[in-house]
Amino acid sequence: MLVEHPDEAAGLAIASGLRFAGYAVAVCPGPQGHGQCPLTGPAGCAPAHDADLVVCSLGYEHEVAREVLRELRTRYPDRPLLVEVPSDIDADLRELLDGCHRLPAPATPEQVVAAVQSLSGHVAEEDGADA
Amino acid sequence: MRSPFHSEPEAFRSVVLLTLALIPVVLAATLGPTWLALVVLAVVIGALAVRVAQLRMRKLRGVELPVKMAPPHLGSAAERRVLVVANDTLSEEALLSEVERLASVPSTHVLLLVPALISTGARLTGAVDGLLDQARVRLKTALDRVGHDLVVAGEISEADPLEAIEDTFATFVPDEVIVSTRWERAASGLEPRLAGLVRERFAVPVRHLVFERGSGAQEPDEDTEARYQHEFGDAAARKFGLKALAGAGILAAVLMSTVALVQSGEREEARAASQAAAQQAAALPPVATVVDLSVIAEYKRGPEGEKHDAFTTTEFAVRAGRPQELKIDNTDSVPHSITAPEARVSIVVMPGTHTYTLVVKQPGRYLWFCTFVCDEWAMQHPGYMSGYITVS
Repeated sequence: MLVEHPDEAAGLAIASGLRFAGYAVAVCPGPQGHGQCPLTGPAGCAPAHDADLVVCSLGYEHEVAREVLRELRTRYPDRPLLVEVPSDIDADLRELLDGCHRLPAPATPEQVVAAVQSLSGHVAEEDGADA
Repeated sequence: MRSPFHSEPEAFRSVVLLTLALIPVVLAATLGPTWLALVVLAVVIGALAVRVAQLRMRKLRGVELPVKMAPPHLGSAAERRVLVVANDTLSEEALLSEVERLASVPSTHVLLLVPALISTGARLTGAVDGLLDQARVRLKTALDRVGHDLVVAGEISEADPLEAIEDTFATFVPDEVIVSTRWERAASGLEPRLAGLVRERFAVPVRHLVFERGSGAQEPDEDTEARYQHEFGDAAARKFGLKALAGAGILAAVLMSTVALVQSGEREEARAASQAAAQQAAALPPVATVVDLSVIAEYKRGPEGEKHDAFTTTEFAVRAGRPQELKIDNTDSVPHSITAPEARVSIVVMPGTHTYTLVVKQPGRYLWFCTFVCDEWAMQHPGYMSGYITVS
């Protein structure tokens, strides 16, 4: 799973939930504060390439974040994308999100994990936890 | 430094890279002189060293991709696995109490990882036993103190601390990492910026606990962590840069000395070969600048008693590649020739006195003969209308 979240603590909380649900995770803060995102460059992004599902919570009021989403959709058209967005979005973003799975912002880590599990059809095995 | 054979893909990539790097060296060694192969080898080593230095500098400065990774949680959802990384702070009561507190939480497993902090110098000289023993004693004392049972385990690592932590993500799979250091780095202690480096790479919570002798644990604020990253990263990069420069200087000096040695050896060989050639040339019979000769009909008597057509000189000694002038007076009314196909010589000797140039490139002894129909017997017998060209 690739989690794109600009807030380090929030990204780690989602990652922790996903790890305990049985997923290997990569957490990326996105392009803000780190210059150009490699995904939008010629080199591409290995974690994005390897991910089975991408959780996008970059805040799409900024064009750079939309650019990342656009690249993800172009490069990996069959990759499930779970995008955390507010209910009130402009027409451009609505068009960009067409076909993506949406999660109302702000979502809790538990909501993200549940949405990922429902999307991937995977239920983490909790062998001793229920005991 | 991380071993280029650390994992299977890395080993494969390293082998392919080394093979590609060796191709120009082998080609230069096969097709060119020795010094060229040495220079190509130096260039290849230099390029590899620059790449390694770039990667090392990136690592030292902490400039990596901003992506943190973590494997899935191991065990049941209730289990919690905590990795505690420490070395000299293992003797601190406050740290041991924290380990005890963690271990007392149900379903919590604690792994104490003690990097032995073996320097490159110690690794090269093999002086690692003392450092390993020191780490072993610290770990044993700590385990004895907190109670060495199923939930607290210990491990000593000879690897770089960051690599050792990376390895535990494949084996122990921690859900949380605690890095214990002092405020300033001691000779046998971990770098205070280690916590920041772990935080940069792994998508698990990382706590940095700082201990000073006899006092409780403190956690540096963000500014202090950033300062650690900056100062230690720059200092480590500077130190590495100086080492790299010194290494490059030594390599250049060794290379220059080797090339000089090889070149002087080759010059010596060339001088010896040239002296031998001069001596050989001096031993050869002198070659006349112009050879005067004639072609005369019925000039020389054969073994059967009859007179045959003949060149007055039939043995020519020439130097390879050097023109030899032949002044030939053909007293006959028809042309004759000096033809030696193997030596690529074909001189048509016209009636009258003319000067011709004889040039043969390859040393050897070549039979020549006249190709114009004249005295049939003389054409087939050296000393008459046939002879030899000796090229030295």
